[in-house]
Amino acid sequence: MRIGYVIAVFAKEWRDLLSNRLLLGAVAFPALIFAAIPTGLVAFIQANDLDPNQLGQIEQYIANFPGLPAKLAAQGFIVTNFMAYFLLIPAMVPMAIASQSVIGEKVARSLEPQLATPLEVSELLAGKTLAAALPAVIATWGVFAGYGYLNGAIADPRLTRLVFSDVWLTAMATLVPLICLFSVLLGIVVSSRVNDPRTAQQIGGFVVIPIIAVAVAQFFGGQATFSMEQVLIGDLLVGGLIGVTMIIGSWAFDRESILTRMA
Amino acid sequence: MIVVEGLRKDFRRLTAVHDMSFTVGDGEIFGLLGPNGAGKTTTVRMLAGLITPTAGTASVNGHSLGEGSQRIRAITGILTESPGLHEKLTARQNLAYYGRLYGLRGSVLRQAVDRYLGVVGMAEHADRRVVGFSKGMRQKVAIARALLHEPEVIYLDEPTSGLDPSAAKTVRDFVATLRSLGRAIVVCTHNLDEAERLCDRIGIMRGTLLRVDTPAGLRRHGRGATVRVQLNGARGPHSFLGRLGELPFVTGATAQEDTLVVEMADPPRDTPDLVAALVAAGARISGVAEEAPTLEEAYLSLVGEVGERD
Repeated sequence: MRIGYVIAVFAKEWRDLLSNRLLLGAVAFPALIFAAIPTGLVAFIQANDLDPNQLGQIEQYIANFPGLPAKLAAQGFIVTNFMAYFLLIPAMVPMAIASQSVIGEKVARSLEPQLATPLEVSELLAGKTLAAALPAVIATWGVFAGYGYLNGAIADPRLTRLVFSDVWLTAMATLVPLICLFSVLLGIVVSSRVNDPRTAQQIGGFVVIPIIAVAVAQFFGGQATFSMEQVLIGDLLVGGLIGVTMIIGSWAFDRESILTRMA
Repeated sequence: MIVVEGLRKDFRRLTAVHDMSFTVGDGEIFGLLGPNGAGKTTTVRMLAGLITPTAGTASVNGHSLGEGSQRIRAITGILTESPGLHEKLTARQNLAYYGRLYGLRGSVLRQAVDRYLGVVGMAEHADRRVVGFSKGMRQKVAIARALLHEPEVIYLDEPTSGLDPSAAKTVRDFVATLRSLGRAIVVCTHNLDEAERLCDRIGIMRGTLLRVDTPAGLRRHGRGATVRVQLNGARGPHSFLGRLGELPFVTGATAQEDTLVVEMADPPRDTPDLVAALVAAGARISGVAEEAPTLEEAYLSLVGEVGERD
């Protein structure tokens, strides 16, 4: 694989992405929403100086944070429990970008001129993958950092330390990029077979279901956040899925089948 | 030079192209003429190293399809059926991107982009996004893209489609210039007039090559050529029909007022013998004119009048 060609594709994709305000909005908006809801709750609790006994169901989860005052433990539970949704950003956003990129080019018939150059399909895909994954990784990391510091500033610096725990730093460093990569690859594989970005996103949408399931199970199980073991098992699982998707992708996205299946 | 031998492409149970054999020399413009679905685009895609033939071989400037496909793509310029530009990028950004994919860098890339934007008359629109371009403007940028890296072999699919007459002439003149620079050029077109004006040889195809010849040679294929011999004398043309029937190269003859209409296969070769035979028989000839069939007649006689192939 020649890095100069990958960079050329990557740079072109970024130009394309930066000129697409709707898609840029789709990158930033979900991340901000996922961060805003718990931050709003933390601010609400802080401003209203609520009695922990009034916090109802959450009270039973406060045991997750021994040593913290009850109110701060309640805020800690909210802050950490919502963090599972940060994994939805790398699952959803790159797929939207990748399927838009591939199907958009199929519809515009701009894949053929690119494939007629000395560019290898692997270089094209690498450039597209990087360009689709990077905005989601940057958005997730950016919102994660802002989320940690903002909640610390609103309530107590100890909330910042809860957000920037070893488990979540590991998840951000490993699981987020891996989920991004899986999401992009899945988007590309699905996009190579269909000619409508919405169909591709609907088909690929099942990738978010396990993440939502984990978040819901975590909430109802009374667990405030993931353990390190769960993050590492997640890394392995997603890594395996990436391997399988790459094998399918190399078969689905060869030069000839792209050209002969174009819209 | 392009050398094609027995090329075939099957898509599952559909045979798109079979038994394609032809050559295109350096400095030659070869036209591929055929109805929709005749296999022109499939043939070009195979020769450009985009899709793999089911059978047969081809070489482009000594590089064989298959193991040499990447090298072939590097020395090939292709104008695809649809311009396929990146809408959100400017014309200059589009060309710069493709220049990089063809290995151009730095000042060489910048100069090539500027040069070809000028060649196709798009310099003043260079920094506008393609999304606002007309069909003709897109076609011009796509032509510049195909030529940017000075390819040795060029495939042009409907090169003047969407262009106004003046721009179409500019493109035709430029293609002719490329021929004089020794490039091997294949033009796919439905436009018979353009094929006749531009191409040194034309291959009429419908799944396979039905006939390859010069435009003049193809015209003669249509119904044989007709030579009109105008007489000026006491004897009417009817009196010479018997003599014409004895000439082996004459395939038919009729008399119309003072003119003999003679059908024959190869007028440039046989007209002198025709004139000599008529003069020997006592005819006084005031004029001889070849009435060649059109390329359209030749095309329709080969392909049939049905546009789409089954």
